[in-house]
Amino acid sequence: MNRRTLISASAVLAVAALTATSLPAQAAEVGVSSTSITLGMTLPMTGTASPGYNKIPGAMKAYFDYLNANGGVNGRSINLKVEDDQYVPTQAVAKTNKLILQDKVMALLAPLGTANNKAVAASVNPARRGVPVLFVNTGFSGFADTKKYPTTYAILPSYVMEAKIMAQYIKDNFADKTLGLVYQDDDFGTDALKGFTQAGVTFATKVAYASGSQSATTAAGWVSKLSAAKCDVVILFGVSSATAAGLGTAAALKYAPQWILGSVGGDATTIKAAGVPAGVLYNAVGASFAPATTDMTDDYVKLFSDIYAKAVPGSAFDNNVLIGMNTAFVAAQALKAAGTNPTRASLLAAIDSKGSTFASAALLPLNYSKTSHVGYNGYWFGKYSPTGDLKPVDGKYVLYTTDSGSGAVVKSTWTRPAMPAKGLPQ
Amino acid sequence: MRISSTKSRVLAVLSSAALVATVVVSAPAHAAAAGPTCDGKTPINTCVGTTEDGAAYEIRVPSNFNGTVALWSHGLGVSWAVPAGLLPPFPSGIPVDPRANVTPYTVVGSTSSALASSILADGVAVMGSGFSVQGWNLDEAVKTNVELIAIFKKAFPTTKKVVAWGYSAGGGITQALAEQHPELVDAVAIIDPVAPVQANQKLLMDALWLFKTYFDPTMKLTGYSAGKAGDMEATADIGKMYSILASVGANVSTGKWPATAGPAGQALEAAGVPSRSAMLMCALLVGMPVQSASYDNISGPDGALKLTFPLAVSPALASLENFGAALTVGLSMAREWDAKFGANWYDNTKTDFAAQLSETDQVVYNAALSGNTVIGALLSVLNPANPAAPRLVGDPVAVAKASKLYSTTGKITVPTIMMTGVNDPVPAAAWIQQISDKYQVQFASEKAAAIAAAKKSRSYVAPKNKLGVVWLKPPTSWTKFDAAGTPIAQSYVAGNGHALFTQSQFKFMIDSAVKAANSGYVATTGTFVSKARKAGMVRDKYSSYPYLKYFN
Repeated sequence: MNRRTLISASAVLAVAALTATSLPAQAAEVGVSSTSITLGMTLPMTGTASPGYNKIPGAMKAYFDYLNANGGVNGRSINLKVEDDQYVPTQAVAKTNKLILQDKVMALLAPLGTANNKAVAASVNPARRGVPVLFVNTGFSGFADTKKYPTTYAILPSYVMEAKIMAQYIKDNFADKTLGLVYQDDDFGTDALKGFTQAGVTFATKVAYASGSQSATTAAGWVSKLSAAKCDVVILFGVSSATAAGLGTAAALKYAPQWILGSVGGDATTIKAAGVPAGVLYNAVGASFAPATTDMTDDYVKLFSDIYAKAVPGSAFDNNVLIGMNTAFVAAQALKAAGTNPTRASLLAAIDSKGSTFASAALLPLNYSKTSHVGYNGYWFGKYSPTGDLKPVDGKYVLYTTDSGSGAVVKSTWTRPAMPAKGLPQ
Repeated sequence: MRISSTKSRVLAVLSSAALVATVVVSAPAHAAAAGPTCDGKTPINTCVGTTEDGAAYEIRVPSNFNGTVALWSHGLGVSWAVPAGLLPPFPSGIPVDPRANVTPYTVVGSTSSALASSILADGVAVMGSGFSVQGWNLDEAVKTNVELIAIFKKAFPTTKKVVAWGYSAGGGITQALAEQHPELVDAVAIIDPVAPVQANQKLLMDALWLFKTYFDPTMKLTGYSAGKAGDMEATADIGKMYSILASVGANVSTGKWPATAGPAGQALEAAGVPSRSAMLMCALLVGMPVQSASYDNISGPDGALKLTFPLAVSPALASLENFGAALTVGLSMAREWDAKFGANWYDNTKTDFAAQLSETDQVVYNAALSGNTVIGALLSVLNPANPAAPRLVGDPVAVAKASKLYSTTGKITVPTIMMTGVNDPVPAAAWIQQISDKYQVQFASEKAAAIAAAKKSRSYVAPKNKLGVVWLKPPTSWTKFDAAGTPIAQSYVAGNGHALFTQSQFKFMIDSAVKAANSGYVATTGTFVSKARKAGMVRDKYSSYPYLKYFN
């Protein structure tokens, strides 16, 4: 080798070395390893707001364990870190910071509560960090705003949609009745009022309660106002503890209007756990976007209830469980769609581009796109059975759909596709 | 108070005393410049003197002086003496204190002298003055600091680098010095800085007006008499403020209003609005943090109040604690500015208070505010057309005078390190967040200019980062309860209170500034992050603290 060749060879080697060092090793995404993906969630696991909700992590883990046993997502198992925020916004901020900074989760999954999610958005700022906030467990319509919350995805139909559809149900079934409304005096209730106003509903009386003030004592005041206004149809559009306080106190005071329960406070297991007899719930009207939890003819209900029964023996398969498992199933599809080496960015892009095609137990479609982070968009109404189970009237789901704006309420013609094989992401 | 009180005393009177402890006062008779007179001792040569404007100063130079001097600017002190025996939290009154400080007076868990020794041991000289004017003194203090730098360089001609640092108003002074004289300082360290003067005036006067409107219409706030009579009137206002805080605190469960409440407050009470919600509304409208040393809004006592306490009660108590810290100074400033500019120097006739309640605050603190209906009632009372809530109507001449004070811009001109507790009741986090955000824009612009220049020269010269921010955050939760479930008052919890930092945190700041002075830029990765973390702080580029509404 002469000097010229040596120099050339050295130059080639130097360039090769430079190239090698210039190209970064494939950066592993936060929360993603070769064998696992870590997600995190906050919700009330203890305290007065926890009953019902505290079953959701167990339901999600049941599904993820099932998924992991069947190969996970592209060979990676899904780990779910759960933090108890006690339904306190500042606690949600602290716990979310822990999940992101200390536990290094890839994404947040189904964080619960309007106020908590707003506090986290303002203080922790997942959007600025590029952290996906998948499928927030609140129906506040604002979270579908892609400009304000670009990394956040709603999944529940909004409270505005629910109120509009509830108004349609009232028109169809209780057109000549005197109406009363009990609602939470915050964004949750504001959304509901917006929907009822949009639908042109007139209430004889509206009772607002401040979040956290609901109790048997305050509920006695509600009953007094509702009965004084001679309301024969009363909508309880509040959280479960408010529903329980309202139903229980009214029963004790022998006030028995036709009750219509909002979906947030309509979980029978939670209401019964608060001491309200199933008989009080009987014939009350309720709403859901998922199949009835007792409907074992439904492929999803059958599969999920089987999985849950094995994972959490003895625990009732209720709406919180069904929705929790369904959310986990949708999240698994999103992660799969994010590619073999998923990143936060690819996860967001996958939901935007493919989210509307994800399979789901719900009887309405997901509405994700690059410009829409709206989840489901409708409800069916049914009645509670003597045992407290919500079932469609005459056994038939009649689904209505609308938007959070001025769109009309119409019957849904959407047909849910068949469940993927074994309920696993394809 | 700043000098005479001990640390334990300061910490015992909650952060109110801590805040006042960082303050300073009225102008002594101006003497001709004197000194520096040095004792020539080793290992520390101590020099004292007086600047041309009459400010006492002190310089300490170690035997191993490496050419760098750290110029300290202390915090705000009262410009008029609060008499003894009138305010329970300050039985000895609050004296005017013009003495010089060379390092922070209050150092959590340590002493000012120990901190000074640790800096001197590195070969860095320290100096500072007591300033010629106490109270809000940015304009005067910058002149004093400029003179002091010249005095030092003349006395110690081997000087190579000047680093300026300060906390509270001293942070504002340091910022103003860097903005006006970047040629005189090589780097600055700014700790819990006051916001621009107009923002401070608005925060303090609006908070006081809200107190007056909701809780006690007899509070004077402006038009104080001259001399000692005016001092007594302002002291009486401070006493009324404490009475309000005590009353709301004592009735936090029942929601009962202070007996001093005027027509507006009485109407709200009659409508079932709890006084605690009004107290919280005051805090949210002016941007006062609603977490404090004793109240985290997270913890609740075991039992029935486990959820209700943090949701519905704790934010009001935290507001109350932070107001206790901030409004003593607020009223001292109201008195000072009234004397300086004339009565009615502040005008809030055009303030849209309802617009100052953010959507997020309305949702997050909805339970503590008792729901949207109560929020509407509290805001409705503040309507400018409400005769029960007369606005502060400014005198144009006095308002014009007030507007002439130097207002810091937050523009970064020299390598700058900033530090604050996230719940500082000044509140510094809001101002630092805005400075940080503005600098990101500035840096992006410098980078774009460098790229454009590189296209012509074919040589890219990257701009140098000049700002590093570290945050002192509180623990995950910190409210404590006794066996009966009563919250226990705490005087110090990291991240809360004003200008309360440990020796290692102050040392991190001065070390980082000295390093930046030598390099010409601020390295915000690597050892900067690890050393900050070791001192208990974080460089959090993701969290976003809400601006004071008045900046917009």
